Amino acid sequence: MIWLTMHDPNLGCSSYIIGDEVTGQGVVVDPLGALGVEQYVLSAQDAGIEIGLVIETHVHADHLSCASALASALGVPHAVSVAAPVEFPHQDLQDGELLTLGMLTLEVWLTPGHTPDSLSLIVRDLRRCTKPWAVLTGDSLFVGDVGRPDLADADDAAIRFAAQKQFDSVHRLLALPDGTEVWPAHYGSSPCGGIFMNKSPHSTIGYEREANPFLSMDQDTFVDQTLRLLKPPPEEAQAVRRKNLAGIGSGKDGAS
Amino acid sequence: MTANELKAWLDESDTHVLIDLRVGRAYTSGHIPGALSAPYRQQGWAPMVADWAKRQNGPVELGLFGDNAVVVKAAADALEAQGVPAAATFEAGMAAWQAAGYPVVAVQDLTVDELAGALSEWTVIDVREPYELRSGMIPGAQAIPMGSLEQKVSTLPKEQQYALVCASGNRSQSAAAYMAEQGFRVANVVGGMSLWLGAGHPTA
Repeated sequence: MIWLTMHDPNLGCSSYIIGDEVTGQGVVVDPLGALGVEQYVLSAQDAGIEIGLVIETHVHADHLSCASALASALGVPHAVSVAAPVEFPHQDLQDGELLTLGMLTLEVWLTPGHTPDSLSLIVRDLRRCTKPWAVLTGDSLFVGDVGRPDLADADDAAIRFAAQKQFDSVHRLLALPDGTEVWPAHYGSSPCGGIFMNKSPHSTIGYEREANPFLSMDQDTFVDQTLRLLKPPPEEAQAVRRKNLAGIGSGKDGAS
Repeated sequence: MTANELKAWLDESDTHVLIDLRVGRAYTSGHIPGALSAPYRQQGWAPMVADWAKRQNGPVELGLFGDNAVVVKAAADALEAQGVPAAATFEAGMAAWQAAGYPVVAVQDLTVDELAGALSEWTVIDVREPYELRSGMIPGAQAIPMGSLEQKVSTLPKEQQYALVCASGNRSQSAAAYMAEQGFRVANVVGGMSLWLGAGHPTA
């Protein structure tokens, strides 16, 4: 398996290029406007990976995406959750859908909470074994934390409802085998998480079950704590999400 | 450059050589006749290509073929920095070339199950090195290591169809593309011996 993580340390964002090293088929997940289209195209090319699809784990509210620009530069589809109210041409991802890249599979789980359109991707390498190797958790489960529920809709009732959804989603993820690697869309001091978010960009399901304070709470405590611990939302969150919904999150040069 | 312009450039002179920059299975699944596969890399690619161009008997002019503007531009810039500027660039990929009605050299993909189910229809060529053959070979396969293929290829009858195999399907892909260029009907066994053995198919 080819696995490249590409970070923006300023905002604590992670993005991924994942591919099958034999067939050269791959995807980009959550490409960052801060890094720009060119960096993803050339990194995939260096790794011998032909990108066939650009996926977003959700429509981001903290940073500009370059997913639309990347998909159109490569002439490949841009895939988001079926629940995403996006305005650009895209491919809908459904719960349980299986994306195949040579001997790799990405299984789509819709994990709403941070946003209604949040999803996670379970990664298997069937050349090695049939168990999940890793999960891209987007802004559902973080290392040490969970994604905040208030950025898509700032209405109080909507935030509480989103926090309940987030509880269900992270507990669904906890059913994965303990050894499954956890690779979220954020780490460090990203504004999409709270004060417990770790500086490490990855963990495992088993370790998070033991160490993540949000995973040992019942639903009411979870909702109560997530709401109590909310930091001020990132600057321009609604405006950034609106831009990303329209697919006009820019490339690094601002040209697209 | 349009497909028509690229075709005209290629036909203009034998010294015009097209370099295919694409990665993965792109080249084997379809390329322009005569194009050489040299997937672009940010490190090392330009010096290697420039060096190759200088070592040819007489001057050559290089054309660059890709399916997106970012890679073609990066490759063109890198070559120019080596003092070997590209004489032609094309970034619209095979779709545009085929849409213009021009010929394509292609290698078929063959899964291990498809091969096992129709073994008598294929002449299997195993391009692994001798030391790798201890893990077993597909029954009836001929061993021709990569390094000897160019020399042996003239002795192979063209009326048969060939399935090329190696350990993982990578080397056999280049070997298959080379044979396709020579006018053979060839397929690449996807995943190679690792999948053949993994699927429990017999070996000799």
